[in-house]
Amino acid sequence: MNNIFKFAIYIFLTLAFAWLAFFVGAKNQYGDLEPTSQYLEENNSIPKGADLFPQSMPGVAQLGAKEYLSLGCVTCHTQQVRTIDAGFDVERGWGKRPSVPRDYILQKEVLLGHNRVGPDLANIGLRGYTREWLHKHLFNPQILVEGSICQPSPFLYDISNERSSGAINADNKADDNVSTIFIKPSLRANRIVSYLQSLKQDYELPEMSFIETQDEDDTEDIKLAEVGTAKDDQVGLPTWLADQIASGKEIYSKITPGGGMCVACHLPNGLGQPGAIPPLDRSDWVLGDKERLIKISIHGLMGEVVVNEEKYVGVMQGFGQPLGSPLNDQQIADVLTYIRNEWGNSVSAISPEEVKAVRDSEKDRELTAMWTEAELQKENSSD
Amino acid sequence: MKKTSEQQIDQSAKFAFSFFVASAGLWLLAAALLAYIAAAKLTDPLFLSSWEFFTYGKIKISQANAFVYGWGGNSIFAVSLWIVARLSQSPVRGTIFLIFAGSMWNLAITFGLLGILDGHMLGHELLEMPKEVWPALFISYLIIAFLILVVFRSRRQSVTIAPQWFIVAALIWFPCLFLFAWNGLEINAGRGTLQSILSMWFGQNIIWLWLTPVALGCAYYIIPSVLNRPIDKYYLAIFGFWCIAGLAPWSVVHHLEGGPVPMWVPAIGTVMSIAMVFPIAVASTNFHATAFKDISRVWNYLPLRFVIFGTLSYTISSYIGVIFSVPAVAKLTQFSIINEFHFNQRVYGFFSMIIFGMVYHILPQVTGKEIGTAAKNFHFWTSALGVFALLLAYLIGGLTHGVLAQQPSLAWINVIESVKPYFLITEFAFLILGFSQLVFVLNLWKVIVPNPFSCCEKNLEQKTA
Amino acid sequence: MSIEKMSSEEIRSSGMKDDKLVDEHVRLNEIKHEPTKGFLQAPLIFVFVFGCLIFVCSIQLAHTTNDFALHPPEEIIELTPDEKEALRIERKISSGEKIFAARCASCHQTNGLGIVGQYPPLAGSEWVTSDPGIITNIILKGLKGEIVVKGETYGTTAAVNMAAVAINDSEIANVVSYVRQAWGNNAEEIFEDEVASIRADSAEKQDQWTGDQIISMYPESFAK
Repeated sequence: MNNIFKFAIYIFLTLAFAWLAFFVGAKNQYGDLEPTSQYLEENNSIPKGADLFPQSMPGVAQLGAKEYLSLGCVTCHTQQVRTIDAGFDVERGWGKRPSVPRDYILQKEVLLGHNRVGPDLANIGLRGYTREWLHKHLFNPQILVEGSICQPSPFLYDISNERSSGAINADNKADDNVSTIFIKPSLRANRIVSYLQSLKQDYELPEMSFIETQDEDDTEDIKLAEVGTAKDDQVGLPTWLADQIASGKEIYSKITPGGGMCVACHLPNGLGQPGAIPPLDRSDWVLGDKERLIKISIHGLMGEVVVNEEKYVGVMQGFGQPLGSPLNDQQIADVLTYIRNEWGNSVSAISPEEVKAVRDSEKDRELTAMWTEAELQKENSSD
Repeated sequence: MKKTSEQQIDQSAKFAFSFFVASAGLWLLAAALLAYIAAAKLTDPLFLSSWEFFTYGKIKISQANAFVYGWGGNSIFAVSLWIVARLSQSPVRGTIFLIFAGSMWNLAITFGLLGILDGHMLGHELLEMPKEVWPALFISYLIIAFLILVVFRSRRQSVTIAPQWFIVAALIWFPCLFLFAWNGLEINAGRGTLQSILSMWFGQNIIWLWLTPVALGCAYYIIPSVLNRPIDKYYLAIFGFWCIAGLAPWSVVHHLEGGPVPMWVPAIGTVMSIAMVFPIAVASTNFHATAFKDISRVWNYLPLRFVIFGTLSYTISSYIGVIFSVPAVAKLTQFSIINEFHFNQRVYGFFSMIIFGMVYHILPQVTGKEIGTAAKNFHFWTSALGVFALLLAYLIGGLTHGVLAQQPSLAWINVIESVKPYFLITEFAFLILGFSQLVFVLNLWKVIVPNPFSCCEKNLEQKTA
Repeated sequence: MSIEKMSSEEIRSSGMKDDKLVDEHVRLNEIKHEPTKGFLQAPLIFVFVFGCLIFVCSIQLAHTTNDFALHPPEEIIELTPDEKEALRIERKISSGEKIFAARCASCHQTNGLGIVGQYPPLAGSEWVTSDPGIITNIILKGLKGEIVVKGETYGTTAAVNMAAVAINDSEIANVVSYVRQAWGNNAEEIFEDEVASIRADSAEKQDQWTGDQIISMYPESFAK
């Protein structure tokens, strides 16, 4: 106690012991924690071909997590469902089961939080809120939940008094004709909403299965009904976009002549086949450069491609080809808009004009000449 | 070794002490302003809402940081410098380095807070300031702590006493804590909720192992010094000290109870925080058994009145904290605004009150000027009232919040509706506290900084003459 | 002079000097082992309470640390053999359903009815519900030429060709079991080893099956 160096070492050790247990000890336990299937075989191995959980968030949601952090939402919202012995979270309908360490293993920023002035958000993506509802809530919570003390974030939106495409009616009056406030979400607002929608622990894990609550009436659902929210996902979209997506979906999944036949290879879930057919869901090719995407859909693509850091070798016909039934500009725009907004994707639409521009710029190219990845990259870098 | 008189020590500490106390005062005002804005935003969500700089989350977080690092850090440097120098009977050296490092510390916090408000915060509790400012903060801290420890090393009496243990330990704890947390959060970042464990561990330990020991050390110094009698049952103090050192780093993780972390982490935390009754009991026995032997002196000497208010508040609410860490109770209160009660009790009701007392005790000895009794009394009573209102509102509001939240049939908005009146009370409490702190800081600056207008007045007089 | 009348300055200067304060406490530290009055009682109570608390705490620790495991404890439900079997089938079928949705449903549709004139139905089809070897073979090698399903003729245009994409025995077993039990079909499941033996039997075959080859392999299934 009287020798400062000895004293300093004791002081250091008191901390070091706790740190060793809580960090080094727990780190060892977390070390081999990886996504796993919902249930295991008898010998504790993962069944072949089973989906692994938790799944990583779509890229746009990961960007949304950063926005969520920078606005300080974590001050009032937790993202954890406590065990049934330790809390009332499952009974309250905040989750189908308690959260476990594995749920967070893929998240870069773990925002558990420890204050609940607002409700828990660990399963906000499961509660049936539409994008429109979430945007309105971000813009001004008080118009949806009377008496809410959640802070409005009008700075994330373009506000106008006129109805325009892509704008959301954010007035107290539900009727579009009477309303005077229309908001257009900024990129950041869209990211946050995508992030919120991706927050869900809707899978079981070997260490934790769903817990059945006695009260089947979901309180959150009742609350939703009270504020009069439509549940259909497409309601929040402006008509032109909803139309494009609906038509795109039809083309995507139609295998008869006149359709795109995309579904035959890329599958209804947009995941493709490992090694042969690249995924569309959260693919960097789909979410990325529009021009490249349009080029591929017109002329096709062959050879080796790298999508999301995975190699695929295969051939894809172009849909501008005269063989079979070529798609027109509108149809290509529709189907591309659809795949850019389905599954975990949520990015801008593609208009027929953009398709036409690409078609015109590649007029000299033979319609049967498929692109290769090297060729596309060269084009890009020369730009 | 040649003995240095108390006056000589005071003289050597004058400049550095005044610098730290003056900047601490400014941070206190900044924190008070931010606290008021945050409280006002809870009662009226539309208040300042159109400006992104002022979202509730950012304000709340920057308030905590301004308070802990700005006011807490600067006042810790000031009082520990002076107490260590006086108890070692050795003068302060390297004032110029202290001022330099202190400026760096304050500058880094300023940039850090602006960074938070600009949206560049990190997601770790009380480590929210952007990455870039931490090296500057850490280096300036090391310089200051080193210079204080140099004074400690040259002490006259080689055997140390309680105030020295607490203060020196706090000075060493902070950099260790920081390095442990920084390693686990940024360098070898842990996966998943491991981050949450470490961030919780750091954020709570900053309060328990940095602010708390310094305040306890101050109390261990000022009580015997003013009452002219040694600490009662002093032999328990060493037990209390090592209990805090041994238990606090383990106890703080009990806030993770039921969360997505291995169950043993909060389980150990819960048990250790129940065991914390010992150091709390020891400290309160030491302080109050001594103080109540001469209560009239405590009452009449205002700095001591502040300190005893602080120690009483420490005792009562630490016991409340122990009760709330029992799993059956934690189930209700874990995520409610009881957390605000804990934080505000510790920083306002305990730490700040003791520091106020110490500043009022030290300032006249260092500068030779006394702050007016009326101002001091006003400060004491408004502070006491504000702290009472604040803590009571958070306590009762937190219980309401917790109890109502566990009824699944009650919509969340109804839960919040019933907590709203308490938010209104806290807004008023923060207003009172802010006003009282304004009076404190104005008087402080009046004593420390020579009036710049005095020469102008003279000039004016000459001109008119 | 009474305390009330003293100024702060006076109170402060009447306090203990720092050197005395240090010396006094150092002295107190040194005599702490000598038993004095009032010294014995407190530690006894302390030791007692401390002991009790350590006892209670260790019990609490033993109950709540969950053996220092990473995962929360789950109630272990002892399943009866029947329940185990039901759970196994349920999981197999649900896995098969996913494979079907991903690989087959685009042609045969999720309702298993196919598309009239293009893709034969699976629901109620004798090709599906009779011998499990039939669709297993088709999945393994593919099918070309005309076939008759439920009295309708289906043409050559779209040949089943799952063989192009790697699919393992357990996946085949799952998906075959699923289609044999979905949409009102009520045939028994097929196991991984059966699939393996069928795969081995036709290992040499390079091209797709034709309808006639299949019918000749399983004559009793098409006897009606």
